[in-house]
Amino acid sequence: MKKKVLATLVSAMMLASVLAGCGATAAAPAPAAQSEATEETAEAPQATESADTEAAPASDDASGDVTIWYYWETPGHQEALDHIIQEFNGQQDKITVQAKYVPFADFKKQLSVGASAGELPDIVILDNPDHASYAAMGIFADITDRFDVSTYYPGPVNSCTLDGRLYGVPFGSNDLVLFYNEDMLAEAGCEVPKTWDELLDVATKTTKGNVYGFAHCALQNEEGTFNFLPWVWSTGQTSYEIDSEGGIKALEFEKSLVDAGAFPKEAINWTQGDTMNQFISGNLAMMINGTWQIPTMRSEVPDMKWNVAPIPQDKQQASGLGGENYAVIAGGNEEGAIAFLQYATSKDTCLYMMDHMGYISSDSTIAKDQFKGDAVYQVFVDEMQYANARGPLPEWPDISDAISLAFNKVITGESDAAAAAAEAQATIDSILGK
Amino acid sequence: MKRIKSFFRYDNIGLLYILPAFAYMMFFVGYPIISNIILSTQNVTVRNLVNGQKKFIGLDNYIAIFKDGMFIKAMGNTLTFTVACLVFQFLIGFVLALLFSKNFTFSKTVRGITMIPWMMPMTVTALMFKFMFSTDVGVINFILRTAGIIKENIEWLTTPGTAMIAVIVANIWIGIPFNTILISTGLTTIPQELYESAAVDGANAWQRLTRITLPLLRPTIESVLVLGFIYTFKVYDLVYVMTEGGPVNSTHLLSTYSYKLSFDMFQYSKGSSVANVLFLILLLVGMLYLKITMQGEED
Repeated sequence: MKKKVLATLVSAMMLASVLAGCGATAAAPAPAAQSEATEETAEAPQATESADTEAAPASDDASGDVTIWYYWETPGHQEALDHIIQEFNGQQDKITVQAKYVPFADFKKQLSVGASAGELPDIVILDNPDHASYAAMGIFADITDRFDVSTYYPGPVNSCTLDGRLYGVPFGSNDLVLFYNEDMLAEAGCEVPKTWDELLDVATKTTKGNVYGFAHCALQNEEGTFNFLPWVWSTGQTSYEIDSEGGIKALEFEKSLVDAGAFPKEAINWTQGDTMNQFISGNLAMMINGTWQIPTMRSEVPDMKWNVAPIPQDKQQASGLGGENYAVIAGGNEEGAIAFLQYATSKDTCLYMMDHMGYISSDSTIAKDQFKGDAVYQVFVDEMQYANARGPLPEWPDISDAISLAFNKVITGESDAAAAAAEAQATIDSILGK
Repeated sequence: MKRIKSFFRYDNIGLLYILPAFAYMMFFVGYPIISNIILSTQNVTVRNLVNGQKKFIGLDNYIAIFKDGMFIKAMGNTLTFTVACLVFQFLIGFVLALLFSKNFTFSKTVRGITMIPWMMPMTVTALMFKFMFSTDVGVINFILRTAGIIKENIEWLTTPGTAMIAVIVANIWIGIPFNTILISTGLTTIPQELYESAAVDGANAWQRLTRITLPLLRPTIESVLVLGFIYTFKVYDLVYVMTEGGPVNSTHLLSTYSYKLSFDMFQYSKGSSVANVLFLILLLVGMLYLKITMQGEED
């Protein structure tokens, strides 16, 4: 009998170890977060240029270490950030800034895990639609009276604001436009499309062999939603009105592109980076993509003839506002973090970052001097005034999920536009508490 | 004093031996499970994860997820996935085990090589299958087209029905070695004399299989199936990398759906409720497994 009890106990524990992986999804993430925290000390930036010592930005009481989390995977972005950090560390000796790369797919998880385990950095650079969620969670410091954003564009500032308080600083913005392959359009004898009908027509005509006429990232996540929403906004409807004349029309337009064979269904598995790669490999005649792809495209395919134009419109011009925000973590080294932000958003440093990353500054006084004489970037700068923000709403991820499910259902042919729109609307209404 | 002494005699001393392991398990396994159960009875979302009141709401989360169509769908998907994988893994694994039990040249070497899928990191396998199943450049469509089985490329990972088939095929490939090895080991425990005397008595190959091999393998087969069920039911990384639960949620399993609720949608308590349902099902299956192995020992 005793043997049996013992055996039961031992096997129960063995079994439990098998199950532990799934039972602990949200509850016990602490060990992972701790090991991450120790790893981040690995790359301590070295002081390089100590020549220019003018204007040490650190205030008197700011000192210590400041850790930054970011998710840019593009090497150029990482190098630019590293450059300004080294410059900052070299200029003064009170604050040491370090940056740590966290992959985009893990970023939200790491923040949630860090929040519940109390293992967070001092600054995060995060995707702006997620800002409100974390501000509501209470992990961001209220910097309303500590940072001046009066010269910034209202859209980006709005994304850092919750209940009238400022919980971050816009890092830089980007928006979406139509990229087209000039040779392919010329070969098909087409003009650059300006309306939906023209886009459908050009996309159909440029589709042949392995080449699809048009695509945008249609992933069933925030990235896909970002690329889909300009259709809805162009009809005059908002992100929260999917089951409306405009929302259904946008979904039906997507459907007509797929039905014409001009839009690859596989785009539901393409990131924006994948979409850009298809475009520069010559598999796409047109795509929707963002500002940040330009530096990569110019260096990867310098000989390719491509250009940009505003996104074809239904009733009005519309684009999506993307970009990142800086947020200071509450209870971390807040003073040190703000000192770094003052430096990072100063004109020269900000311009350096923006130009190397292909971003548009959120500070209107800086943005107006950017990209002078660069026709491609000028299209993006002009499109900025038609760029809509997503949210800000703490529950935006749920709204976004409902929207991306809707256009995925339509693209894959799972349901028709009206049914998908109605379903998405039901979810959205339940979140908004209607 | 006498009591203490007598306690440490004989079998009881064993309890002392398992104490370190038991303490370890309670801390690293027991604590997360309990903490997860507590989380699932609260209303933790993005608004009160760090600050704010975490209200006890009893079983409301469980009631909510059972009313949630997506949860029911994920549950159905998980069952389909598990049963389909188990059946094929087992059948193919069994045939391979029988094959390798014959001592032909290289049989041991080849048996070793078939272990590769089991040792390969799951993410690598998932990426490989994702590439193989892609519509325009995937090798699977290429083979099917060349063989004349299909005319148009199948959109494996972008059509709800076929995406499920694709992840099931990938997981079958991963699970076959596990079945092969366990059944092979089981086969070596059957005395060769039984087959010899059966052959002398005039039993043909089919009779030897159904009258000798299968009955004597019963305990092995039961273990393989139950353990296979546990491993398959909680698969996460394969599906996450291949489809992320898509297209249109058609390949979400309980594991991936729980992750999505918690970390993409910030509904921590609902996510943990889904994880707990998963846990409960596996616990029941695990208890079944214990019962079977206990019976085996008593016989």
